[in-house]
Amino acid sequence: MEEYPEELRTPPVTLISLVGCPELHALISSHLHSEQPPINTLALPDFSKISVIFSDKSSDGKAASASDPSSPTPGILKRDWLLKHRTKVPAVLAALFNSEQISGDPAQWIQVCTDLENLRNVIRPKNIKLVVVVVVPATFFASSNDDLISEDRMAALRKRAELDAKHIVFFNSGDELQLKESLNKLGSTFAELATTYYREEGRRIKTRVEKKNFSSIELNIRNCFKVAVHAEFRRDWVEALRFYEDAYHLLRQMVSTSTRLPVIQRLVEIKIVAEQLHFKISTLLLHGGKIADAIAWFRKHNASYRNLVGPPGVVFMHWEWMSRQFLVFAELLETSSKAIQSISGPASNTAEKLTEWEFQPAYYYQLAANYLKEKRNALELAQQSEEAAGGIDGSAESVAPSVYVGQFSRLLEQENVLAMQPLTDEEYTRYSIAEGKRFQDSFEIIALLKKSHESFSGIKAKRMGSLCAFQMAKEYYTVADFTNAKQLLDDVASLYRSEGWVTLLWEALGYVRECARRAGMVKEFVEYSLEMAALPVSSDTSVQSFDSKDCGPAGPPSLAQRENIHKEVFSLVSGEVGSVSIGDNLDLQTACNGPLHLEIDLVSPLRVVLLASVAFHEQIIKPGVPALITVSLLSQLPMNVDIDQLELQFNQSECNFIIMNSQRPASTDGRQGRRVERAPSLSLVTHKWLRLTYEVQSELSGKLECIYVVAKMRSLLTICCRAESPASMDDLPLWRFEDRVQTFPTKDPALAFSGQKAAQVEEADPQVDLVLGATGPALVEECFLVPVTVTSKGHSVFSGELKVNLVDVKGGGLFSPREVEPLSSDSSHHVQLLGVSSTDTEDDPQVASSKIMKIQQSFGLVSVPFLKDGESWSCKLEIKWNRPKPIMLFVSLGYFPDVNELSSQKVHVHKSLQIEGKTGIVISHQFMLPFHQYPLLLSKQSPSLPMNEASVLVVSTKNCSEVPLELQSMSIDMDDDHERLYTLQHGGGGAEDMLGISHLMPGAEFRKVFTIVPEVESSSLVLGSVALRWRRKSETQEACVLTKYKLPDVNIELPPLVVRQECPPYAILGDPFAYVLRIKNQTKLLQEVKFSLGDAQSFVLAGSHTDSTFILPKSEHVVSYKIVPLCSGMQQLPRVTVTSVRYSAAFQPSVAASTVFVFPSKPHFQIAAAADAENKELEPVATE
Amino acid sequence: MIVCVAVVGHQNNPLYIQSFTEADDALKLHHIVHCSLDVVDERVNNPKKSGPTLNETFLGLLYPTENYKVYGYLTNTKVKFILVTTDLDVRDVDVRNVSNAIHPSQKIGFWAFSLLIVEDFMCRISFLANWAYENLNIDLLGWFIRGSMLVVIQISTSVVLL
Repeated sequence: MEEYPEELRTPPVTLISLVGCPELHALISSHLHSEQPPINTLALPDFSKISVIFSDKSSDGKAASASDPSSPTPGILKRDWLLKHRTKVPAVLAALFNSEQISGDPAQWIQVCTDLENLRNVIRPKNIKLVVVVVVPATFFASSNDDLISEDRMAALRKRAELDAKHIVFFNSGDELQLKESLNKLGSTFAELATTYYREEGRRIKTRVEKKNFSSIELNIRNCFKVAVHAEFRRDWVEALRFYEDAYHLLRQMVSTSTRLPVIQRLVEIKIVAEQLHFKISTLLLHGGKIADAIAWFRKHNASYRNLVGPPGVVFMHWEWMSRQFLVFAELLETSSKAIQSISGPASNTAEKLTEWEFQPAYYYQLAANYLKEKRNALELAQQSEEAAGGIDGSAESVAPSVYVGQFSRLLEQENVLAMQPLTDEEYTRYSIAEGKRFQDSFEIIALLKKSHESFSGIKAKRMGSLCAFQMAKEYYTVADFTNAKQLLDDVASLYRSEGWVTLLWEALGYVRECARRAGMVKEFVEYSLEMAALPVSSDTSVQSFDSKDCGPAGPPSLAQRENIHKEVFSLVSGEVGSVSIGDNLDLQTACNGPLHLEIDLVSPLRVVLLASVAFHEQIIKPGVPALITVSLLSQLPMNVDIDQLELQFNQSECNFIIMNSQRPASTDGRQGRRVERAPSLSLVTHKWLRLTYEVQSELSGKLECIYVVAKMRSLLTICCRAESPASMDDLPLWRFEDRVQTFPTKDPALAFSGQKAAQVEEADPQVDLVLGATGPALVEECFLVPVTVTSKGHSVFSGELKVNLVDVKGGGLFSPREVEPLSSDSSHHVQLLGVSSTDTEDDPQVASSKIMKIQQSFGLVSVPFLKDGESWSCKLEIKWNRPKPIMLFVSLGYFPDVNELSSQKVHVHKSLQIEGKTGIVISHQFMLPFHQYPLLLSKQSPSLPMNEASVLVVSTKNCSEVPLELQSMSIDMDDDHERLYTLQHGGGGAEDMLGISHLMPGAEFRKVFTIVPEVESSSLVLGSVALRWRRKSETQEACVLTKYKLPDVNIELPPLVVRQECPPYAILGDPFAYVLRIKNQTKLLQEVKFSLGDAQSFVLAGSHTDSTFILPKSEHVVSYKIVPLCSGMQQLPRVTVTSVRYSAAFQPSVAASTVFVFPSKPHFQIAAAADAENKELEPVATE
Repeated sequence: MIVCVAVVGHQNNPLYIQSFTEADDALKLHHIVHCSLDVVDERVNNPKKSGPTLNETFLGLLYPTENYKVYGYLTNTKVKFILVTTDLDVRDVDVRNVSNAIHPSQKIGFWAFSLLIVEDFMCRISFLANWAYENLNIDLLGWFIRGSMLVVIQISTSVVLL
């Protein structure tokens, strides 16, 4: 677009001319230029210049327009017509006069009149509008301009200038406001007159067009063009567009009709004019926002001229022209879409639908590049034929563009006068070829493609972008810039590779391979060659045939070509000098003298060349025991490849070994100290797995993994291939869809699906016994001992370590304070490892304690002393249960069988034992009141005991375990910080009650009775806790376990009333007895007591049924009944109810307490003491 | 006339590509088919822009080149059929009819694929068609083998890859 002249590229701007008063010109022209729309100014300092500027041009113009209609028009558009109208021919001429000149003396007035006359003579033929500007002096402050110049003089001025009053403008620069007003007035007057001028001019030419008032089609086109330009001047875009289009259509018709010029030049002229018209049309459409229309128009333009190639010798000119069309349109589209921002999208109203890409400048840039490439090819042909015809003479040098657009002529200098001489087509062709040589088309093409590539990449059209990059790379390749070409091609190839477009990949690789060859990059050359040779292009060759000229340096993709490449690369790496045709670059051969090392990883494209799968037959192998491993190699190269030697590299480098090909002479380099195996043949056949199975033996436990398989081929090539597991091996992506027999890397199909390249090497078997000797369940609170014995049976134990772990069987976790039970605050662990006692440390206890390295609540670490073969060592773990629960005890011994820890491996022995923790002793208690004595306890708190009264506490102990226990003692102890505030009496007497040895069999219960007499009144009297000493019954005297049982705090209060019931233990039928209730008032108040007695059928009684009485403070009231039993047997006494009015409390003895046995006759009694320890109470025993 | 027919897999890998020209631009047609996948991607990712062809599997004109027109057809299984013609003034409707031949609603075999079948697998077609009808309960329009994959063009669901 930059090569177009400025006047064509920008919209036309109105031109006016100023003459006279030169001091104001700068002011006025800058104001006009900033107007909207702007107006350009042609400033002439004084009136004498007028005739000079206009005279020659006007005569020239007249000559052209008034030329003889019969003579042929020499051209379509004049080259400088547009420039002339934009810079030379003003629409309005403004004559500036000072007011003194007009209103001054007659001499000045006559001068004004003369100037005006001259002006009018000059502008009349061109219809230029005239404006007279009267410049008012800055010092004049009159209210009206009429005062400045008399009415008569103004009328005379109007008459002289033949102007309306409104076209005589007063210019007052007195103050800022007036100046602005004057400038605005000037601007609007100029704009109005200019529009009129352009309209009139346009109309004048339009009339000619409409009347078809001309001889040739060229004139018609020229007039249409002029009308359009005039319409543009007055910003009538619609009309401009219409006439440009008319001109364009007329021009297209000319192609077949015009005979004016020689055939080549005629076509050139038409195309260049068409280009200008098309440019104008596109610009107008795009600026109007009609992008879809512009694209459709371009499509039409392209279609109508694409086939006008021209004579064979000058085809390149056509392609150049086409390329320029696309380039210019791309640039227009780019600038306008930047301005408009939103692309309207494919318009549905256009006749044919536009596709997305046609809205992208990148699309046009790419095609421009393509056409430029065509041009270059055609130009090369033309140059060759030209040179063959006898070279280029120097006559082309004096050729220059002629007066008409798109025409060229020879410039002849004759006697200092320049003359134009028409060219013949031959001369013109020679001139164009010479011109064409001056340009470096390749760089132009690369620049265009680069733009296109960037733009396509920007809109995420990666494939289009790739194609552009590919074409760019081809251009770089043509100009021998192999570095850039290779860089681009690598990216392109990776896209084709990832999507599996083999043919395209073949082409790209062909180029990049040649780049590597030319640049002397041996390694890259070999890599690309190998990849190409292994591409799956053989199958389609029967269907697809490719022209070898289009396929790049690699030739058409075919099996034969693959084989050629294969042979070439292998003879290169064998160092066979002269066997490879390496063109003119000998560096490749010399550079290939050194060894070549290729690496193939899991994502390398070279996996098709060599795929190594390694599978261990066993997943777990024993140390020192040989295990089988299968190495499978697959190659897709078209011909068989012999491998000289194969090396397997493991993560344990001692296991590495080499497989030699027996058919090849053995070389001894680089394998000292390695295991060497021999294989009868190491020949890789296309598509066929080469399977090799060998033994491998590892001494170290842990992971044994095959990492690399290194294949050495020929003398120079080494391929280091990362080993893959058959189980997780990816398919070869490019070969996935090819017709080939599916084979497994291993003979055993199961191994092919599950085989791994890594195996686990086990530890050496331990030769040490670890025995955990605990028996039976553990009891809560006791210190449970677990004997651990380490016995060496073959291994000496060095640096032995015993790790002890306690694990919750249910939860599996260690015992932590996070346990849910809130009662665990006293001891955070339910089961604790208290310590480890070693048995054989009598000699030096210091040493023993230092050996215990670490004991935590549930974890212990103990060091084991050095043990020779056959020796043993034992210790005891002390574990205490705070809660009954089962745990798992894990003990593991780690040791070195060798004194040198570095060389030998640690051996581990693990043992575990589940131990139940059970509750051994359960203690409970019970409070009881003395016989037939009922204190009134007012508080509802429980348990409550009456003060100063004896209460009974029964403590019972039960053996819940499965082993017999021995009870040592039971007592009630006070805690350290509490005083005993009650009197305690043991049932058996004595303060510290030694039981002696009391055996408690499983399930048996032991009770002990205490009598408590509280001495103070307290809401929570601390009773202390029961301390029970016990141990397992066994031969060995184990330490006693002290189990404590906390008694609850009791409420002690003084009962206001105490009721004692007195009745005999038995009665005799018909024999009266006394039934007495003693109610004691312990208060200092008078107490009213009501009592009532119910009837009983078995008894006759004497005494009041209901009564009420008052009991004096601190005194006792006795209610007495005489009762005669009427029936024998267990009888219910009459129920007495005592009610305290003050406390609203009623008392009724329980049924058991008011039952009496009635004998039929008086019995004989014998007092017998019950021997039973469990029931010491005296009981009446009846004897007959 | 149709110069190239291609079937492209759902990972944009070429399953089948066949050109019917005088050999000199087979490679160019490969490039054109490959580039047209960009447009297919664009239309699939921005269904708004493609307007009326939203719910259709026929994608219409994909890509105008100087000498060819490229039309696309996208199946449910994201397999693309690409058709390259040299008729620059062909109308969408005409191509749609050709493409409709492989659309489920019509039972006419798509000629290009029929051609392939006749060329390559004449002897096996009746066997496979019968087998497919009996075992898969589908009416076959065409099929071809690509590697270990059997591409079946059927009437009910367009394309099955076995």
